[in-house]
Amino acid sequence: MELFLMTLVQGIMLGGLYALVSLGWVLIYKCSGVLNLAMGEMTLIGAYVSLTFYNMGVPFILSIVISLVIGLVLGILTERIFLDKLIGEPVLTVIMVTVGLSYFFRGIIEFVFTTDTRLFTPPIFSIEPIRIGPVIFSEVFLWTFIAALILLVIFVAFFKFTKWGLAMQATADDEMAALSIGISARFVYSAAWAIAFMAAGVGGTLLGNINGLNISVGYLGLLVLPAVVLGGLNSIPGAIVGGIVIGILQNFCGTYLDQFFRGSVKEIAPFVFMAIFLLFKPYGLWGWERIERV
Amino acid sequence: MENTYLPCGKYHQTYKDEHSWWKTKFIKSKMILLLIVLFFVIPNVAQGYWMSIFNHVGYTILGALGVQLLIGYCGQLTLGHGAFIAIGSYTTTMLLLEFPWPQIIVDLGLSYPLSTIIAGIVAGLWSVLFGLPSARIKGFYLILTTMAAQFITVDFLITQYISQIGGRGQAFSIPGESIKIGPWVIDSNTKVYYLMLVLVILIIIMLSNLLRSRVGRAWIAIRDNDISAEVMGINVLKYKLLAFFVAGFIAGITGSFWISNLSAVSPEHFEWFLSLWLVGVILIGGTGSIHGVIFGSIFMVVTMELLRMGIQPLGETFPKLASDFLYIRDSFFGLLICVFLLYEPNGMAYRWWQIKSYFNLWPFSY
Repeated sequence: MELFLMTLVQGIMLGGLYALVSLGWVLIYKCSGVLNLAMGEMTLIGAYVSLTFYNMGVPFILSIVISLVIGLVLGILTERIFLDKLIGEPVLTVIMVTVGLSYFFRGIIEFVFTTDTRLFTPPIFSIEPIRIGPVIFSEVFLWTFIAALILLVIFVAFFKFTKWGLAMQATADDEMAALSIGISARFVYSAAWAIAFMAAGVGGTLLGNINGLNISVGYLGLLVLPAVVLGGLNSIPGAIVGGIVIGILQNFCGTYLDQFFRGSVKEIAPFVFMAIFLLFKPYGLWGWERIERV
Repeated sequence: MENTYLPCGKYHQTYKDEHSWWKTKFIKSKMILLLIVLFFVIPNVAQGYWMSIFNHVGYTILGALGVQLLIGYCGQLTLGHGAFIAIGSYTTTMLLLEFPWPQIIVDLGLSYPLSTIIAGIVAGLWSVLFGLPSARIKGFYLILTTMAAQFITVDFLITQYISQIGGRGQAFSIPGESIKIGPWVIDSNTKVYYLMLVLVILIIIMLSNLLRSRVGRAWIAIRDNDISAEVMGINVLKYKLLAFFVAGFIAGITGSFWISNLSAVSPEHFEWFLSLWLVGVILIGGTGSIHGVIFGSIFMVVTMELLRMGIQPLGETFPKLASDFLYIRDSFFGLLICVFLLYEPNGMAYRWWQIKSYFNLWPFSY
């Protein structure tokens, strides 16, 4: 029972992180219709930037802010240079451009930072475990979860209450109508990419705190896909729920199934789950069903 | 795009003429010249290193043909084709290493060809398994399931289970003398080249004939609009699965061919990058065209080799450039795909067609 609880709690906490990155993904998809496979590399860039600044002696919060600023700039640049011209192109073209981008970024990251694991030195979170009743987990997970929650709340508030957020919602809902009331679609696209880049960067930084940062943290970008498929591609609450569910699922598979299989089931399970889930409910839990006509 | 202009005053007089591959004497002589160059000139002129580049081009062509069939002709997006190539490679390797072939078959040198065919069928069936979701989903969702195919097959099944059979560790090395067709042992780059050439030509003939039959027309109808195809009475699921089977079969043959060039087979040869690379090849070459596959493969492999040659001299002054060449290659590959899709979205085959029709009509512009 204790094991069960512990797995659950850790899963939820890791899931918060996935939810954060999934949110960025859904945002891009909702606003500009781009299916983004470069999310993992976006997390890596943010994570490496904040790690570099932190290890240079900049306070942690400040280094996160720096990585947010760089994410903002890079997000706008990426959108303007590469994706602006692709509106209305076939799905495969758009996806392959994001794949191309992901390899471009990854190559640069590997070249600059090499593939060794880097640690945040000195460690930000103490390694003393926290005990709540029978449940034991390390401090990193708790803070990660709290940070992810705070950011999620900030993002949701941004969409609900600010003018820019409302403009983005309007564009996502109906682009034509949004254009006709004077919302700049190009601005919205750039903003979506900038926010996604920033969210991914924070997600990567937090994940890098758990086990150290190396190129495999970018795997987070692929894990986002099962999460958003589960929630439905164009639903923001769906992305949050999907992220948390995938986090829980992954941890349970790690705890209970790893002993039966060679290697780590943890990394494959979300994809197996996704493939099966797609067969039964291709539009996810809250996604829009698309009705096709000849 | 595939039709040819006949010279002025020439007309087809029989249906056979109209269906022939090489419609004029000029095309015929051109193609025969190409075959002579491919079969006799290149193997005699090219040296070891160049031979290996040709082999790599051939491997890319073979792999990309399957992707082209799925994406370019049947409209089923796939990002997991590397998995089926891996299945082909591993089936052949396992059959060669573990299967108790009767002595007579080994003596006749039939074990490699037979395992190649079995590998094709196994990879085809495996591909059908992951094509099954295409009954309900398409587009981006299909990309996700084929990606899942890649991770499940290569990163889990092959790395964790199949590689462990026989306790050889990660890589399977194949004894050189077991790869032979009849009396010919395939042990040098030149022999691999001939094998590659024969396979490429056979598969291109098979595929192009298939594409102008009822099956091919059904595939193209499904690509253009699957709902109207269904309304027209095409059994969409059957033809989609058939496309997956044929693509998987080609992938299996490809994988089986490629082990003749590898000294040891390991999962690293079939990572996700391979699948992306093949899709990149057909996008750069042009979707929906067999010419596109060939142009794209040549272009990609040669560009990457040129990049390597360009980087190598710099490596003496900047050692990091040479040691981290792989990362530069990744980065360059990504940029190349982006640039091509942004500025040349129809691919090289379209450009080729434009040039060809320009010269067909030359000196008049219409």
